[in-house]
Amino acid sequence: MKILVAEDDRVSLRILEKNLGDWGYDIVVAGNGDQALRKIGDGNVRLAILDWMMPGMNGLEICKHIRQNNGSNYIYIILLTSRDRSQDILEGLEAGADDYMTKPVNFLELRARLKTGRRIVELEDKLLESNRKLTDLASRDGLTSLWNRANIMRFLEENLERCKREKQPVSTIMVDIDDFKRTNDTCGHLAGDIVLIQIAKQMERCLRKYDKIGRYGGDEMLVVLPGCGLKEAGGIAERLRLAVAGEKVRIPAGELETSVTLGCSSSADLSRPTPEALVQASDAALYRGKKQGKNCVVAE
Amino acid sequence: MNQAQKPRGTSSPIDIEDALARIGGDSDFLRELLELYVEDFSFRYALLDKAVRSGDLKAVSELGHTIKGSSANLSLSSLQEQALKLEKAGKNGDLGKARTSLAALGTEFRKLKVYMATRAD
Repeated sequence: MKILVAEDDRVSLRILEKNLGDWGYDIVVAGNGDQALRKIGDGNVRLAILDWMMPGMNGLEICKHIRQNNGSNYIYIILLTSRDRSQDILEGLEAGADDYMTKPVNFLELRARLKTGRRIVELEDKLLESNRKLTDLASRDGLTSLWNRANIMRFLEENLERCKREKQPVSTIMVDIDDFKRTNDTCGHLAGDIVLIQIAKQMERCLRKYDKIGRYGGDEMLVVLPGCGLKEAGGIAERLRLAVAGEKVRIPAGELETSVTLGCSSSADLSRPTPEALVQASDAALYRGKKQGKNCVVAE
Repeated sequence: MNQAQKPRGTSSPIDIEDALARIGGDSDFLRELLELYVEDFSFRYALLDKAVRSGDLKAVSELGHTIKGSSANLSLSSLQEQALKLEKAGKNGDLGKARTSLAALGTEFRKLKVYMATRAD
């Protein structure tokens, strides 16, 4: 774990450095406050030992600065003060320090306190990680693991706004699995689920990393293509169609040939390109495709 | 270190046992730190001398504080004590006291240098 040590006294610094090294910490050293801030700015520092009294910005000010400006990972801060300045402790804790120690530092104690710091930092990491997973879970469709409808629509809305600013089009593709109802009726809903999952995977693999695909309804999926015009969207849709048609889906009863019909539309062709209008235009194109005999792309 | 020869109650500038306990028992490392201390001390002492001469009490107090901390790290208690006196004198605006403490600090430092010279391996 990366630890910053800000201390202007070379003797103290050298002792800290040696001990922390022996304990397996990855040490970043700063000889004054301004250096300390710069090195924290580089990121990855998770623990900090700051001497209160330093030329330039002192430990207390660094502490406040870290708490006000560090948005990403929590940094656990131990302030070092002189024994006769223990009245400062309150001020230090109020500035955002997690702990303090008086100098000269008792190293057994420091080691134990750093362990506490580590524990808190690791706990924070775990919390953030599970938060991220939960958010992800709440944004995904339970069956296909594609983005859910709310999420894909939000993505569309955000990208319409962003692309409008950048004078770029956004395209959408509405995808519908051909004869899905018949699959469900003849092979059972379990087979239907497998088809959905499989097709979702096949299509997801074909997209660029800045595109997004979500489950829009029962067997309908919506693809959002930022920065993409209608012609390009048609090309991507054709790639998706071929990917699905080219691979059979294995179900318990054997193998199924599947296909999808895709309707494309672009914000560039709409007078008021709202998310709803774009989806509606893609839907209309999809409908035309179904009428034309399925397993095709409509992009006009 | 010959414990039998350790002067009792008199002015050994350093409490070796205490210092070693603090840094983890490595006497080579202690020597390295003492050398670092001497280098820094000489520099700071010159600054202190200048600050006392020019009556810069804030600098006297700050430098006293730094030397005090550095000395405490290496269990140099008499140096620590004189440095504390300087810090206080600076804070209290007592330039006369600062002068005498500065001289005393110098004396203690010379004792440390003599000690280190006689202990040089």
